[in-house]
Amino acid sequence: MIVIGGLIANIIAVAILKKKKMDINDFIILESFGLLGAFIGAKLLYILVSANDIQWSRITEWSYLKSIMQGGFVFYGGFIGGIIMSFIACRIFKINFLSYANEVVFLIPLAHAFGRVGCFMAGCCYGIPYDGPFSVVFPENSFAIHGAKLFPVQLFEAVGLVFVSIILLLSKKVLHNKYQIELYFIIYGCLRFVTEAYRYDAARGVFWGLSTSRWISILMIIIGLTFIIRKNPFHCTK
Amino acid sequence: MGIASLVLGIIAIVIGIVSAGLFGWLGAILAIIGIILGAVGRKNPEKSGISTAGLVCSIIGLILCLIFYLACAACVGGLGTL
Repeated sequence: MIVIGGLIANIIAVAILKKKKMDINDFIILESFGLLGAFIGAKLLYILVSANDIQWSRITEWSYLKSIMQGGFVFYGGFIGGIIMSFIACRIFKINFLSYANEVVFLIPLAHAFGRVGCFMAGCCYGIPYDGPFSVVFPENSFAIHGAKLFPVQLFEAVGLVFVSIILLLSKKVLHNKYQIELYFIIYGCLRFVTEAYRYDAARGVFWGLSTSRWISILMIIIGLTFIIRKNPFHCTK
Repeated sequence: MGIASLVLGIIAIVIGIVSAGLFGWLGAILAIIGIILGAVGRKNPEKSGISTAGLVCSIIGLILCLIFYLACAACVGGLGTL
């Protein structure tokens, strides 16, 4: 689902950038650097939050290393890695990151929503035990707890992400907002902070009573607000 | 740039078809580097043809590697958080 989401987002992005007569090659470079950073960041943060579960003495064994590489990813790690690598690309190739990001940032939550539907299908990132309306029971071959009624937090977040995408699109089209990426940081940070309360899957990496993702959510909101008040460091132009 | 992109794209396609479950992550990284080199190469009008070919091959390789890698990861398990 995340691959389908990514493909749809890219098709829309290319159509928008062609209409605006912007350089597609620069966009491809930025996105590819971002994707590379996202892959590395998501894997690194997964290893970090599940460091206690990893048998470090077996890390040199090929089969064990392979199982870790086929293991999980943490979205926030990918997000941070993607931003850092995009920043590096923006410096190396002298690309104006914000001019591209402001046009297509609403597609990130859209692709992410597809990913969350994929999570629901696989049964990972599942919710807390819950016996109310819309509760779901996952089958035995899924990642979720079998036989228990759970809150469908994946779908809850997917719907939230679609709303985030619509809000960002409207703020661009109607309000001509110049702080699209900052707005995304703030809104998604709030959404994730709320949805984390309904997550029940293991490896949450809790620090001082809050999960890793909640700490990063707080950081994202602070960064978003700071970038609105002060000059954004991504303002690097040709 | 263009030739390197094409080579990386072809390697990624081969990995994607033959062993994406095992080396999909490696194929995806090679494909992303191929896409970057292809996009950079397309800026040179003289070599834009081969660079475009490299770019397309790398994109196809990336999609193949990601689809099979993620499908395999979902099967193998251990996908704690996303």
